[in-house]
Amino acid sequence: MKSITRRAVPMVLCTVLAIAISTSLPAAGSRAPADDFARRFPDLGWEEIVSEARGQRVFFTMWGGSEPINRFVSEFVADRVRDRYGVELVMVPVTDASVFVNAVLGERLAGRISGGSVDLMWINGENFRTMRQADLLFGPYSHRLPNMRYVNTDDPAVRFDFGFPVDGFESPYGSAQFVLIYDAARVAQPPRTMGSLLDWIRANPGRFTYPAVPDFTGSVFLRHLFYHVADDPEELLGPFDPVVFDRLAPRVWETLRDIAPYLWRQGRTYPETSTAMQDLFANGEIWFDMNYNPAHAANMVEQGRYPRTTRTMVFEDGTIGANHFVAIPFNASAKAGALVVANALLDPEVQLEKSRPAVWGDFPAIDVTRLDPEMRARFAEVVRHPSSLPPEELFAVRLSELQADWLEAIEAGWVEYVLQR
Amino acid sequence: MGSRFAPCDGMKAVHTAVIAGIVVAVLLPAIPLVIWSLSGGWWFPRLLPEQWSLRSWRYLASPASRVAEATRNSVIIALVTTAVSVPLGVPAGRALGLYRFRGKRFAEALVFAPLIVPSLAVIMGVQVVLIRAGISATLIGVVVAHLLPALPYMVMVMRAVFSAYDPEYEQQARSLGATRWETLLHVTAPAILPGLVTGALFVFLISWSQYALTLLVGGGRVMTLPVLLFAFVTAGDHAMTGAVSLLFLAPALLVLGVSARMLGGRPAGVSGLEGV
Amino acid sequence: MTSRHSVASARPALLLAPALLVIGVLFAGGIGLALVQSLGYLPALGMRTVSAGAFVTVLTSRGFLRSLGLTLWVAAVSTVLTVLFGLITALVLRRRLRNSRLIRFLYQIPLTVPHLVVAVAAAMLLSQSGLLSRLLFHGGFISAPAAFPELVHDSAGVSIILVYAWKQIPFVGLVALAVLQSVGDDYESVARSLGASRLQRVRHVLVPLTLPAVVPATIIVFAFVFGAFETPLVLGTRFPSMLSVLAYRLYTDTDLTRRPEAMALNLVIALIALVLVALYRVATRVFSERRDG
Repeated sequence: MKSITRRAVPMVLCTVLAIAISTSLPAAGSRAPADDFARRFPDLGWEEIVSEARGQRVFFTMWGGSEPINRFVSEFVADRVRDRYGVELVMVPVTDASVFVNAVLGERLAGRISGGSVDLMWINGENFRTMRQADLLFGPYSHRLPNMRYVNTDDPAVRFDFGFPVDGFESPYGSAQFVLIYDAARVAQPPRTMGSLLDWIRANPGRFTYPAVPDFTGSVFLRHLFYHVADDPEELLGPFDPVVFDRLAPRVWETLRDIAPYLWRQGRTYPETSTAMQDLFANGEIWFDMNYNPAHAANMVEQGRYPRTTRTMVFEDGTIGANHFVAIPFNASAKAGALVVANALLDPEVQLEKSRPAVWGDFPAIDVTRLDPEMRARFAEVVRHPSSLPPEELFAVRLSELQADWLEAIEAGWVEYVLQR
Repeated sequence: MGSRFAPCDGMKAVHTAVIAGIVVAVLLPAIPLVIWSLSGGWWFPRLLPEQWSLRSWRYLASPASRVAEATRNSVIIALVTTAVSVPLGVPAGRALGLYRFRGKRFAEALVFAPLIVPSLAVIMGVQVVLIRAGISATLIGVVVAHLLPALPYMVMVMRAVFSAYDPEYEQQARSLGATRWETLLHVTAPAILPGLVTGALFVFLISWSQYALTLLVGGGRVMTLPVLLFAFVTAGDHAMTGAVSLLFLAPALLVLGVSARMLGGRPAGVSGLEGV
Repeated sequence: MTSRHSVASARPALLLAPALLVIGVLFAGGIGLALVQSLGYLPALGMRTVSAGAFVTVLTSRGFLRSLGLTLWVAAVSTVLTVLFGLITALVLRRRLRNSRLIRFLYQIPLTVPHLVVAVAAAMLLSQSGLLSRLLFHGGFISAPAAFPELVHDSAGVSIILVYAWKQIPFVGLVALAVLQSVGDDYESVARSLGASRLQRVRHVLVPLTLPAVVPATIIVFAFVFGAFETPLVLGTRFPSMLSVLAYRLYTDTDLTRRPEAMALNLVIALIALVLVALYRVATRVFSERRDG
């Protein structure tokens, strides 16, 4: 006993010393000169911002799960902003947007109010709301971007992000819609509604699954089930309503537990991410893939990763669509550079390249009718890929995203009542 | 000698089977990595790709892939971690290997604790300090984090080296008029060199292979080969995953080959692991 | 060896100071700060009340017990496999290695290959549509990927176990080999002359000889797998996940109130690792004392 205490005393002393050293050390860091860009920003002209951006290195943190999207950013966009503005754009791929939200939160927690590690983020939905509520974003800035003139700022999809007011703290990047993907050589008559999909799953055991949340593809699939069981879709729109949630959620969990035995691996486990699911689909283990990028099938076919007979479909009763944005953290090191990149992303040439199915196939964030006739014609010429759907067909059945609070309740509920059941 | 212990036929078969098993088990994982890196598309149930392609290797060689940056960072971090570990680890190993003193058990417990307690758990606690000091998401911060799992190995190897070391030679050299530096250079250094190389290789490899701590402290901004590799794993691009994997393990094999030569054929990494 | 004397602690203290300072600040600082944060003291977020709530939340959560179970299982099984095959290969290789540089080189390769690469290769080999599954398909043993056993992303962590065994067998093997080669053939030939059979010689002479070196290596192996992160990240399931992965998920949760939970879990991980090692050392000491007595 005595020897234990004798050994424990130096251990404790050492710990105390270490904490003392390590907590006194940071004071030096937090005394770093406060960033004054935010203060100067209202008085700066765009030209001044552009010249301040020259030579800056912009770390653009984004979900890195799609090779074509990664290349679009790290090659096309990076080349363009380097050649035109002398800005070095560095793509930082992460597995989930929550990773960089947490990184910025962590920096605030540690008192790092300038010189942050993230300059620009690809963001929407609950992550935007989290960062706004924690006051972690720089802005409002979007009204200062010259290319915002191409954006229809009256559009509710631009003014609100998953029901949360944007207020200029993020700028539009693109627009996407959930689709289902199947191989016509395997599934001749795909189910056209959520109800008939559930029947199809029971009739084809082991051939269907969906990614586990917090993967955003898995998450949006769950929201479609809420639309499916809702007595009136309108009751899902608007702020989170616990009464409605408590009425609908048990129906969804029951449906999902019901079909679980008919899922891939009898629903004992779920693909970790939508990319893990792609392998299952490509190898023919499952017969449906799903994605929030409507041109996903086209991307994969062009890379030789999905068969040419791959097709895209939407439910007749609709699929969810939403805009996505970029935002700048409050402590970004290169705010001028980030603004220049955010503006460049709205450049019609960039939006056009992005809309090509072989590149990405994302819907433009800009309003094409505001462009000159020549540019409009080039947008019209973008050739649809046989594996993807024409935009009109998608827009015709587009459903609204739920508000961010719903997402959190749904994801937490799924983990508790379906995954860990 | 050999004939006295020559295994009988049955035993010989077992021996051959074990050796064959080792060869197969070691080489097997390389097969899918090589094939995937050369594939255009390769799906169940094909044993070989539908389409061969040099896409991944070509992309690897292009500046956009960031392979050059990742390799450079990986090398710098591993070399600096090693360079810092030597002056810290050699004296500590000498103290623990050569002397008995009060508090030795405590010192050993603290130095070797990171071998037992997962570094990730510890560095998560420290990260708030690294962020505030402004070295999070920098090469320096990553090196500091890598020291935690790496340095104890250096001390461990050097402790074993010094516990078999006779400091009398140093005394004699000094009494013959050699200076401190001359003694260090001509007596101590040659005696501990093989162990030092082993320890340095250990530290280099631990740092080189490190993903978890680089991810945590580097936050994705410090691009190293494992971070790049994981990005391709996340994107589900098997061709790139295979190619980067092969690139990532090549220097490790090189190190192994070099060490085998330098250490005169003794298995690297054995000396110094006894009696942790 | 005459110089292995006790000395006044000034000189060794001086020699030790730099390494102790670095490890001490990082390790003790990490543990200490984790403790502070686990108690919910995060002044920057306005969280100043100290409570053990995070520990209660973590320890009583469904995920924790399942994760602990999986982690112990994976660490224990891979350690047993490692020691077993490490000793077997060492016994077989003890004369070969002197002769064949090639075998020696091959045997050491796994030590240097990064875990991430092994995990990636394991996924390519062992998944239900992986290379082995395809071979079985062509051999007519299975008709579809689903018929291949679930070895990757499975709840028993089979591929994780295999990756760690693959990586660490040569580690234990080389430690055992070093001992076997240093003691030479003398003990064995004595036992042989006394009429001991081959198995008896292995069991009563060779294995006990290597134990003093293998036991500490086993501790490192077990502790290493216990803290596994990247391998389960590539090969594991969402639920249950291994403890380090669970802690990382809690740490990167956008809900900052989970950060105390991550820190509490880290401390629990550290404590379990230390307790297990202590238990193991006591057990081996009792074991060897009983043998000697």
